[in-house]
Amino acid sequence: MLVVENLRKEYKNIVAVDNISFKVEEGRIFGILGPNGAGKTTTLRAVLNIIRPTSGKITFNNKPITNEFLNTIGYLPEERGLYKRSKVTDVILYFAGLKKMPRNKALSEAKSWLKKLEIEQYADKKIEELSKGNQQKVQFIVSVVHDPDLLILDEPFTGFDPINQTLIKETVLSFVTAGKIIILSTHQMETVEKLCSDILLINKGVELYLGSLANLKKNFGTNTVKIEFDGDAEFISTLNGVQNVDRYRNYAEIQLKDNIDPSEFLKMIVNKIKIKSFSVLEPTLNKIFIDVINQSHNRQV
Amino acid sequence: MKKIFEIARWEFIEKVKTKTFIISLILTPAILIIFSVTPTLLSEQETSQTKVIGLIDTSETYITGLKEELSKYKLNDVQPSYLSINLTTKNKSLNEMKKYADNDVIEEKIEGYLLILNGGTDSVAIDYRSKSSGNLKDIKRFEVSFNDIRIKLKLNKENINPQILKFISRSVEVNPIKIEESGKESKSDFLITFFSSFIFIMLLMMMILYSGGMLIRSLVEEKSNRLIEIIVSSCNANELLTGKIIGLSALGFTQIVIWFLIGISLVSTALVPIELFTNIPVILIYFILGFIFYTSMFVGIGSVVTSEQEAQQITTYLSFLLILPIIFVLPALENPHAVYIHILSYIPFTLPSFMMLRLNISPVPVWEILVTTTIMIFSIYFMIIFSAKIFRIGILSYGKRPALKELIQWIREK
Repeated sequence: MLVVENLRKEYKNIVAVDNISFKVEEGRIFGILGPNGAGKTTTLRAVLNIIRPTSGKITFNNKPITNEFLNTIGYLPEERGLYKRSKVTDVILYFAGLKKMPRNKALSEAKSWLKKLEIEQYADKKIEELSKGNQQKVQFIVSVVHDPDLLILDEPFTGFDPINQTLIKETVLSFVTAGKIIILSTHQMETVEKLCSDILLINKGVELYLGSLANLKKNFGTNTVKIEFDGDAEFISTLNGVQNVDRYRNYAEIQLKDNIDPSEFLKMIVNKIKIKSFSVLEPTLNKIFIDVINQSHNRQV
Repeated sequence: MKKIFEIARWEFIEKVKTKTFIISLILTPAILIIFSVTPTLLSEQETSQTKVIGLIDTSETYITGLKEELSKYKLNDVQPSYLSINLTTKNKSLNEMKKYADNDVIEEKIEGYLLILNGGTDSVAIDYRSKSSGNLKDIKRFEVSFNDIRIKLKLNKENINPQILKFISRSVEVNPIKIEESGKESKSDFLITFFSSFIFIMLLMMMILYSGGMLIRSLVEEKSNRLIEIIVSSCNANELLTGKIIGLSALGFTQIVIWFLIGISLVSTALVPIELFTNIPVILIYFILGFIFYTSMFVGIGSVVTSEQEAQQITTYLSFLLILPIIFVLPALENPHAVYIHILSYIPFTLPSFMMLRLNISPVPVWEILVTTTIMIFSIYFMIIFSAKIFRIGILSYGKRPALKELIQWIREK
């Protein structure tokens, strides 16, 4: 388990990260979200031991971060690029070597990864001869070849076509099954919705939300249901517990009062009209993200 | 340790394979060979053609004697160096003779002519008139020949023993001999000392500039594509710095070894004088120490640079610092004991080049060698600490280049 407590990083006159705490457990993907310049990269760099935090504590399995710990981290930075004039295999072996991986083991792992990501034919090519997408695959391999316990991925899916995005996504999910700790930082909200179980939402270095994704949706959801029906639905607006109805001929969006559960509401109406479909409208993470960020801006104003 | 080794190996292997390295490996010695071979060739160079020289002497005192003397000079032992012809005509004025002879020179019928004025008197003067201001060697020979004849004629007139004449005309030359520390002696040759000092300083300078430039470029690349973040999330900054310095030093060492082998094979062909290699072991020590010192400095400076252009600028500034000793080669040869030379050979930045220079010119006491190498080793140590402080922060700061004030702050930070 990775635990970050009260992390704070100050630069000359800016506080990049202020009092951030979170925990990530094995076999979970933890998403760090926030607008540009929110302090995501600074947080990641602190975990990676690239920068020294001004204050705060970071522990991994109850132990402070040491040089040895660095060998069990995999990091995919947002800006991509490798030694352009060097060969694919050489580059992978170099970084594996920096993680203290024995050379022959690194070589066999490199081969199997190149195969897994369908680029084994480029093993002896120079990086600059590869397409951008394939270069990114090599970089992904660099971050995972040493079988890290903690994987930090900064925008891992940008620059890939849909097929390769799926390929990378499946690979990341296989790490979840293998019980690894994964931290994901991205602006792609659908990806977060599909992959992350917990998220940290930050803006201007300050935590806005920390917790499970389901909870976030519940907190920011407006408790709205949508029904399609046959019959006269006029009575709905008179029901206790209904806040607001947006009614069309045989379709309506109904905002419920906070204390009313959608299933209770369904019970109230199920015998009175013929229902063709019933669904709870969930806000998209995208909308929540924008709302929350705007709220925090307004609060400051 | 393993990580340092990994980094050093990467830096070494990836750079040894580059085209620029291979080119510099060949090009640098090629340039230097030209420098070192030229003086040997120059001093042996001799024109292969007999020169036609005119003689004008209205008194006709010297014509026969000069002809005889000049015919003694031979090209490759057979062909005479000069063919002298008498251009003096009885019924013409000196001015007329001059006019005709000048014309001959311009039309290249003759190489030039000797004009002897007031031949019969003591206030004799002699001009050599030719298209160019004249080959120094030729003029020297004319001078010697003429003076010999003049003395000979005078002594004959006074009825003096021809043996004395011979004695007088043999002048004795001063032979410069350089005494080495060990009691060995070697013929000191100005040109050789000059070029050997020059070569070692040039080699050091070119190597430092070349590998320093390479180092900065690779750091700029690593910074611009954030590879540096992956690296420092795998090892700490000091390991990276040490690895880079070791890798580059190994690279430099490879170059030295290869150049040294080229040098030895050239000595065996006698194209390069053996004297070049007299002080090699000590010079090599300074060479290597100097190289490591500057490489450590480049690592620190390179970490601050954010673009290729900046890298170029900085390398240019540093090259001025490195060229400095070259300017001092000549004055140092003239006066190797000048105080400023001694001072400059104790300042780490110029120490290696000036010690190499001094070793070539005159023997350097052992205690001085020990003191300077110690200074160098400590300087390297402090330079690495200094560079490491800048490096640690520099590699992670992007965008604007930090001001000097910020750099000082970084160094002070613990």
